[in-house]
Amino acid sequence: MVNRKLVRFLSFRYIILASILIVLAGGLVLLPKYEKREGISPETLLSNVISPERYITTDELADRIINQDPSLLLIDVRDKNNFNKYSLPNAVNIPLKNVLDVDSEPYLNQDQYDVILFSNDNLYSDQAWVLCNRKGYKNLHVLKGGINTWFSTIINPKQPTEDMPSNAFKQYAFRKAASMYFGVAYPKKAQKQAVITKNTNTVSVPKKIVPKKKKKKMPVEGGC
Amino acid sequence: MGPLIPNDIISFEWSSIIAIIIGIFFGFILEASGFSSSRKLAGVFYGYDFAVLKVFFTAAIVSLIGLLYMDYLGYVDMSRLYVHPTYLWGAIIGGAIMGIGFVAGGFCPGTSLSAVAIGKIDAMVNVVGIMVGVFIFSELYPLFEPIYNGYFQGNITLVDSLGVNPFWFVFLLTIVAIIMFFATDLIRKRVKKVFY
Amino acid sequence: MKTKKQNKHIYWNPYFGGFLLGILIIFTFFITGRGLGASGAMKSSVVTIVDAAAPKHAEKNSYYSKFVEDGESPMNNWLVFETLGVLIGAFISGSLSGRIGWRVQHSPKITRRRRLIFAFSGGILFGIGAQIARGCTSGAALSGMAVLSTGGFITMLSIFGTAYLFAYFFRKNWI
Repeated sequence: MVNRKLVRFLSFRYIILASILIVLAGGLVLLPKYEKREGISPETLLSNVISPERYITTDELADRIINQDPSLLLIDVRDKNNFNKYSLPNAVNIPLKNVLDVDSEPYLNQDQYDVILFSNDNLYSDQAWVLCNRKGYKNLHVLKGGINTWFSTIINPKQPTEDMPSNAFKQYAFRKAASMYFGVAYPKKAQKQAVITKNTNTVSVPKKIVPKKKKKKMPVEGGC
Repeated sequence: MGPLIPNDIISFEWSSIIAIIIGIFFGFILEASGFSSSRKLAGVFYGYDFAVLKVFFTAAIVSLIGLLYMDYLGYVDMSRLYVHPTYLWGAIIGGAIMGIGFVAGGFCPGTSLSAVAIGKIDAMVNVVGIMVGVFIFSELYPLFEPIYNGYFQGNITLVDSLGVNPFWFVFLLTIVAIIMFFATDLIRKRVKKVFY
Repeated sequence: MKTKKQNKHIYWNPYFGGFLLGILIIFTFFITGRGLGASGAMKSSVVTIVDAAAPKHAEKNSYYSKFVEDGESPMNNWLVFETLGVLIGAFISGSLSGRIGWRVQHSPKITRRRRLIFAFSGGILFGIGAQIARGCTSGAALSGMAVLSTGGFITMLSIFGTAYLFAYFFRKNWI
């Protein structure tokens, strides 16, 4: 009896197999569609946003540049004009609208360098930071206050008044020294000097940046 | 997750060993499905044996459905897979030449290799012929180059070129294939049996 | 009782073979990110032979020179290892079901010689075609179809379409 039932069942086996295939393929059609998220989840992004590591102060940056920290990669997200007028030494220009381009990915998406984004103030660099963070890039920082703060603190530091704590004087001394390093002899002429500074800086040999090699996708063609 | 080797989950050094293991399974399946017999292969063109068509389309549909599910569940990233590049006329002309070669020789490279392993002499001759063909192609490469390199459309998929939803396409392809399997069984009943 | 005339060799059910092949393709893509292949190994062997016999010539020819790299043998290639595996796997399967043996398989209506000549010329055509289309039935058509590659579908349609068109002229060889 059992055997006969089995035989009858087996005579339908191709129909059963075919319907399994159709159900599986139909399942694909009926699957609820969702936009594939690229990069990190919104929760991680939010926690990154409030993380203190997001910003780097101008002092810290100046210190690292002076010490010739090899792991530093400066990225200027302003447009080309501004970049040509003045930028930090050895900075790479990736305008905000090009941040997600394929060409800029090797610079931004890597783990060897600390990437420091800056613009005139925080605004554009913050936007670039959010864009890149969303894609899951690591080691991204924003220069707090951007070029403007860079000028007001490093290039042209304010002299502390007598009633300020000693820390402020220490800081001032450091900033003065830093501004000397960046080619400003007299703080008063800072604005004017800065333009010249830029010239000398860009002429000097730019730091060699080795973008992270893209993973080799496939060997030579002729796949067969 | 996957693909594992391009994503550095398995290191590149392992790829040769994995290649051999995959090859063993490939060869085993080809041989056990009867692809080492040229008369069984050629049967698909004369209607007395549709094993090639059945194996080929079952494999294509199973792999398509499987890969799409794995992509959906995040186990494998479809965009990271190697997509065979489309050289429009290269594919058409090359395919046409291969089609004549297939029906004349009764083997394609994978199947002739599996037939060589079990000692078929015609398959060995076929493999030598393929190598001679590659040699001729390379020697006359300047002649073939316009077809070989021309009409390049990139590593596109049907989703790019036809603008179809892949899920619907696979669904329709499955139905077409099942109808085809059914039709081939009907044809086979009408065609004179050939024994080999 | 009437005995049913049957083919000598019993092979797997084609759907079963196709199912396993499909699983293998998924597995291959999952591990390596690329599909199966077969004719690539033959190309590598041809390049190696030419490079050994006439290195100057191989360097000059713009097709060989793509595959000849300094200090690296073209045989050190994924596809070559895979092909070795194919030979081993087919041998295992053949020996398990007792199909091993030197023989030329041909229709009783044609001679052995004719079969070999057609196998050879078919091979030549296949070799040329596989290079033009950058892959054969397994590399271009099967693996291409698994990722919905347009080129793979075109190659598949072209191979089977032409083969059906020309099947009539070769019918004596097979039936």
